Amino acid sequence: MTAVIALAQFGVNPQSGIANAPHWGWYVVLYFFLGGLAGGCYFIASLLALLGDPRDRPAIRLGYLIAFPLVVICGILLIIDLGVPLRFWHMLIESQHVPKLMFKGWSPISVGSWALTAFGFFAFVSFVGVLVASGRIRKPLLVRLDARAREAPRPLAVLWGILGAFFGFFLAGYTGVLVTASGEAVWHNAQLLGALFLTSAASTSYALLLLLLLRRGASCADPTLTKLARADRWAIALEILVLTIMLVGLGGLARPFITGGFGIVFWLGVVLIGLLAPLVLHWRAHHPGDAHRNVKLAATCTLVGGLLLRFVIVMSPQWPTVKPWFL
Amino acid sequence: MAKGFFTDTTICIGCKACQTACHEWNELPALNGGVTELSGSSYDNTVNLNAVDWRHVRFIEQFPDDRAQTGFLQGSRWLMMSDVCKHCVRAACLEVCPTGAIIRTEFDSVYIQQDVCNGCRACISACPFHVPDIGDDGKAHKCTLCYDRLQNNLEPACAKACPTDSIRFGDVDELMAIADQRVLDLKAQGINAYVYGKEEIVGGLNCFYLLVDEPEVYGLPAKPELPSENVAAGLGLSATAAAAIAITGIVSFRKSRMDDMAADQQRTTGAP
Repeated sequence: MTAVIALAQFGVNPQSGIANAPHWGWYVVLYFFLGGLAGGCYFIASLLALLGDPRDRPAIRLGYLIAFPLVVICGILLIIDLGVPLRFWHMLIESQHVPKLMFKGWSPISVGSWALTAFGFFAFVSFVGVLVASGRIRKPLLVRLDARAREAPRPLAVLWGILGAFFGFFLAGYTGVLVTASGEAVWHNAQLLGALFLTSAASTSYALLLLLLLRRGASCADPTLTKLARADRWAIALEILVLTIMLVGLGGLARPFITGGFGIVFWLGVVLIGLLAPLVLHWRAHHPGDAHRNVKLAATCTLVGGLLLRFVIVMSPQWPTVKPWFL
Repeated sequence: MAKGFFTDTTICIGCKACQTACHEWNELPALNGGVTELSGSSYDNTVNLNAVDWRHVRFIEQFPDDRAQTGFLQGSRWLMMSDVCKHCVRAACLEVCPTGAIIRTEFDSVYIQQDVCNGCRACISACPFHVPDIGDDGKAHKCTLCYDRLQNNLEPACAKACPTDSIRFGDVDELMAIADQRVLDLKAQGINAYVYGKEEIVGGLNCFYLLVDEPEVYGLPAKPELPSENVAAGLGLSATAAAAIAITGIVSFRKSRMDDMAADQQRTTGAP
């Protein structure tokens, strides 16, 4: 335990300065949450496509169908959150030297903007691919392209899946790193935030897919749902581990997260409802009679917890300058 | 040649001429539309640096709780400091700005180009000194070191207006030499003075201070850190988490396949 604490406190500087509140509100909270879901769903769909069997096809299609609309919503949220929304393109292009590209490898927002763009491309292609494969798009050109893509050698398909999943996971995790690139002591020293957001993205994405598949009439005994539920349990367990190490490492600096009104949301909403309850409910889902209800409830709890986690992390250090309902 | 300020807090008289001159020259509006809200913190009513107050005079009253015991003014003092953007040698705001709006000028100052800034607020979060702030126009604002005046061989308005020369403007190397000599003089008088803003503070501050108490007393961080120092570690830890999620995903999906195969085998062999 001492070793874990020592490891977690490595690099912590309790004297870090406290910066002005950046006024990150619900647009940012929702972007972090939905970005995680988009990246996570794409990752799960790719993993199922690479390792699964034909019975997983509905889940794979669902994952790809979810990812792209969520990326679009993320982009919109990011744009309307800017002080000057019409200048959103300044993130990607040097406004004074058009069309020179704007990229700063050491700026998390700059890297994140490009990662979002790259992931958007992968998500869009996969989204269209699913629509063509399911017959909802019948444009001859797209149908031909889709057929050619499906004839591509397996290594190419694997590479596509890995690259798309990489950018998806990058989107899910960089948001946490972005928050730590701050002068605010609690954020600055929470170096595990990226890892936390990433594990949370995975658990909430498994939960979302489970929930939607159940709504579509799938049974808890379906092989795909069994896989997803098992992986979700692992993701939740990892999330608990990362969160624990982070809080222990932060020590007193974690006060904004775990005390006061935000503390109530954290302990009740994030820990109890978002992490512990889903684990118990998944375990109880082994009882055949309650399985459907328990898995559904577990997935809902995980999603609620994931959203509240980002709410507490983003909003609590800014209180009272920024009110909890600030957009 | 890097230009900057040397602010000697021991000769600041808290007149706020610097704040007024800054507002005047840069045509900055009054905070809250000119409605004064008393902060309750000595003579300080602007409280911190913000989008319209690029200079801020801090008043620190140090008086013992029981002055009857210590005697008139014994152990008492009133510290004043005119705070401003530090135009850091390694500026956190410049590092994180994703649009290239924040640049380093030919005077080594850190400048926000208003026609490029899109109000992402990364600089506000990153600055360990509380300096940039978002304005009503949705863009980030802070001291420009009077870039327009420097281009016309004029010193910044605040330094020009300071009646005691508490704020001195000039070449950073020359100012630092003056500051070091001043520290020696004060120490000879028994005053524990030091320069805040040498290289150990984010590579050095082009606008530095002579202080006589701990940095925190003046609202300055003792050991500010750059946000970029965290990025590599954060990404590394995220990559580790991604690997763990991928492995647990693979294990979970493979286990289902193994279970299926075992069940098939059981069915074909009829084994229990």
